[in-house]
Amino acid sequence: MSGHQSWFDLNLGISALKYIGEIKNGNLTAEEFISKTIERIQKVDSKLHAYLSINEQAVEQAKSIDKKIKAKENVGACMGMPISIKDNICVKGTKTTCASKMLEDFIAPYDATVVSKLKAEDTIIIGKTNLDEFAMGFTTEFSAYGPSKNPWNTEYVPGGSSGGSAAAVSALECIASLGSDTGGSVRNPASFCSVVGLKPTYGLISRYGLISYSNSIEQIGPITRTVEDTAFLLNIIAGMDPHDNTTIDNQNENYLNDIDSGVEGKKIGIIKEMTHEGVDKQVSAATNKAISNFEGLGATFEEISLDMVAYSVAAYYIITATEAGSNLARYDNLRYGYDFDSEGYEFNSYLSKARKNFGPEVTRRMILGGFVPSAGHAGKYFLKAMKVKSKLTAQVNEALKKVDMLIAPTVPILPFRFGEKIDDPVALFLVDINTVTANLTEKPAISIQFEISGGLPIGIQLLGKSMQDKMLLQAAYALQNTVKLPEVPI
Amino acid sequence: MVSKEEIEHVAKLMRIEIDDHVVHIDRIQKMIAYFDILDKANVESEELIVREQTIDALREDKYIPYDGKLIENLKNYKGSYVRAPKLV
Amino acid sequence: MTKIGLEIHCQLTNLQSKLFCSCKANYREFSPNTNICPICVGLPGSLPMLNQKAVEKATMISMALNCKTPEKIAFFRKNYFYPDLPKNFQITQFDAYGPTSIGHDGKITIEGKEIRIRRIQIEEDPGRLIYEGTSEKTQIPLVDYNRAGTPLVEIVTEPDFDNPKQVRVFLNILVDLLENLGVSDPTLEGALRADGNVSVEGGNKIEIKNVASFHDLEKAIHFEITRQQSLVERNIPIISETRQWDDRRKITISARKKEEEQDYRYFLEGDIPWVKLNSDHFKKLREKMPESIASKRERYVEKYGITNQVADVLSSDKYYADLFEQSHDEKNAKEIANIITTDLMGFVDTREKRETSKLTHQHLTELVNSIMDNKITRNSAKTALQEMVSTGKSLIEIISEQDLDNVSDESTISSIINEVLNEEANAVQEVKEKPETVNFLVGKVMKKSKGKADPSMTLNILKKKLGIT
Ligand SMILES: [Zn+2]
Repeated sequence: MSGHQSWFDLNLGISALKYIGEIKNGNLTAEEFISKTIERIQKVDSKLHAYLSINEQAVEQAKSIDKKIKAKENVGACMGMPISIKDNICVKGTKTTCASKMLEDFIAPYDATVVSKLKAEDTIIIGKTNLDEFAMGFTTEFSAYGPSKNPWNTEYVPGGSSGGSAAAVSALECIASLGSDTGGSVRNPASFCSVVGLKPTYGLISRYGLISYSNSIEQIGPITRTVEDTAFLLNIIAGMDPHDNTTIDNQNENYLNDIDSGVEGKKIGIIKEMTHEGVDKQVSAATNKAISNFEGLGATFEEISLDMVAYSVAAYYIITATEAGSNLARYDNLRYGYDFDSEGYEFNSYLSKARKNFGPEVTRRMILGGFVPSAGHAGKYFLKAMKVKSKLTAQVNEALKKVDMLIAPTVPILPFRFGEKIDDPVALFLVDINTVTANLTEKPAISIQFEISGGLPIGIQLLGKSMQDKMLLQAAYALQNTVKLPEVPI
Repeated sequence: MVSKEEIEHVAKLMRIEIDDHVVHIDRIQKMIAYFDILDKANVESEELIVREQTIDALREDKYIPYDGKLIENLKNYKGSYVRAPKLV
Repeated sequence: MTKIGLEIHCQLTNLQSKLFCSCKANYREFSPNTNICPICVGLPGSLPMLNQKAVEKATMISMALNCKTPEKIAFFRKNYFYPDLPKNFQITQFDAYGPTSIGHDGKITIEGKEIRIRRIQIEEDPGRLIYEGTSEKTQIPLVDYNRAGTPLVEIVTEPDFDNPKQVRVFLNILVDLLENLGVSDPTLEGALRADGNVSVEGGNKIEIKNVASFHDLEKAIHFEITRQQSLVERNIPIISETRQWDDRRKITISARKKEEEQDYRYFLEGDIPWVKLNSDHFKKLREKMPESIASKRERYVEKYGITNQVADVLSSDKYYADLFEQSHDEKNAKEIANIITTDLMGFVDTREKRETSKLTHQHLTELVNSIMDNKITRNSAKTALQEMVSTGKSLIEIISEQDLDNVSDESTISSIINEVLNEEANAVQEVKEKPETVNFLVGKVMKKSKGKADPSMTLNILKKKLGIT
């Protein structure tokens, strides 16, 4: 090795695996990398607003990891790598706001399971990233602290709700990030910001410490610049958790092993309802190109129809509103929240006043959540939505008996400008049409950056069988290696 | 169409005051109107698919005291209670 | 016709931990808000972890009340806002998708009347509200979450009771049954609570809430029946409503009219997958289940010839029944049963006395065997028993300390009898006329011997001396 790398040509764009290699080889110290990352954040985040808070102790933590490395003590697998965490995941002793004024002063008294696992591997939590308030949205425009910007063009939305995480990873403000995906909230911003985003099988990653929005369908998911890095993080954060009754035993699967096994002989289904109507021309062209790249690697394709997809977005909004209406009921500002004295108020009027701190979108979803499962309306809305969910699951299960996985663009349209869709709730609904199916059916799905079209990223989505997240990563890895994308302009 | 009054009533049940009425009500009406699409889904006879676990997967009945004084991390009254507004 | 139904809440006090977290199930020993964790105060990001034992105990209750038990149980959220409810929803069970709560359609028979059990469900207890300040105007409501998340089983009956007396009998039997199952300690404050609903001929159903004790419930039901009947007589319609028991004035009062209809928006709790209960689970629990009170009672009567009345008392109180089971053999069973239900009962009639009692089943066996071998009189045995309860000393120790051993030597008894006959000339005269009054003299002899004289020997000598048969 060529000895010590200079401060100035230190490349913040390296992958997690490369970072670990460089640290092991002594070409890099955690302190150098963390300092440089903080410098980068200071430089670009005023434009991007990916972060809501920064870990002030990061450099100190890096120093102590370097010390351990130098002393040849046991060091965790991440070796001081900077990771950001979406601000709806609890990190002990830090503000966890969900980008809401309602939780302005909430300091998490405990670590989410994913965070403890990352800390145990000597990850440095570099900061908490921006999101749509309580993860309700697809643009970060609903963050109470202002939107994040797309690093590829700051006049465009970064996608959401994990928009801060995707922007931070894309703009080299961290090596990787953890987001949460309720209806595409990891995959959508990954696609818009040209990075990798995985929504794992429901139950693969513990949700303990993830602030619930719609708990029956959401998962924490990694956002990284390479598929290997996602596999690497999954090795650390996946598995059964005694704090989450819904986690599944993954038998300590190693997702990185055999990641290069390719797609030779694999059958892939093209989801008809996600690839034709309403799909932007460039997005369509990119999808066709991805299909032909896969064919070049030995995969075969057939078209699959899932007619329940037409109802999936309505079902998704009804289920999420119902669960959110209940999950967010605890924010009554009595035990934690923000500064607003209850002196002189009657209980109900205090709550109604205190809960005005919810932003407009959350307020609307709360009202929907009070309406669709109510005694008079559950039959027309909530119960039907649950049945659509079941039938969609049956259809996807049936399809996955015929093929190994399914393909569609992650988002049917290109990233759009701020304000463009925010006023039309139904138009915004249809942004989710390709991503909600994985959540409603508990299936793993991954978005891989595939093309930059007119300066705007396009991602391709693969959806696989339950607990076959590994096969999905192998296919995503194969596709990733068929393209070479430009560097982020910021 | 869901009426303005009904939306206001639900907002009250959910304990949220709504100020910019017109915007909220218009959007909520649009959202609910969109949900009518489910009437065409023809799923009435569908069986519910649910997640299951065995009883062995449940938590063992064991007392483990919480490590730390949680009340100090909450808004508290004289360090030992949570204060509630008056219940009429 | 009067119809009364009940909703009983039973805390599973014998569990170690709460329903969804590892805080202590018995919150009573803690100072305010020191038995809490992120789960039971519903902090953002926390998730419920269902207690396995709670499901087992609830299954036992369900089986003991002859309920049907489903193959899978589900949990639901009941949504409403209240300061003692940390998540502003309660995790409970509900039968939206067919019967998925731990029991349904059961029955028990009381005094020949069948009371149907509609449903049994597992749920979490809320926290407790207390008030600081004296006058109503200056009161500050404060919340203590120590109780929040305590495991509860709710038992809902059909409106099958005709009168308050049946309610009392049912609740007494239920309390004994729950205690016998080892699921709940009814002597703990708040461990068992009941609400009722009452309707009379020609009126609608009225719910009665906020009743502190079973005793008060009976009074409240009684009051409601009288109130409703008088309304009917005066042709005043009875509108369905919830009324609260005012413990001070001993009346029910209309709960403040709600400005909204309650809509709990029940839906599935996604954080708890449905729990499959296979036949193994039921079989295992059935084996673990203690013998029912009815079966114990029957056994006591048939196998040992214990009287119905004694068997009733013995079987329905788990403390006595357990003592009996451990101390008896076929020979001494009847005598042990008698000692427990006559002498012991007075010494251990409260929770505190039972907790401090040093009596063991070995004590009881030893004591009764000594009576049967005429080593000690019944009278001395009672004295010894009291000593055992308070000190835990062995019988031998007590006998030697208190000089309690039986006097069965004829000449000693004879000389005591002579003394008594001299002192009680009038009584002697009376016994000669009415021989059935001889027990008065036996008593005098016993007293003089400090209870140590063998009673049958005393009687025989007395009869001989007085020439009666
Ligand atoms: Zn707890």
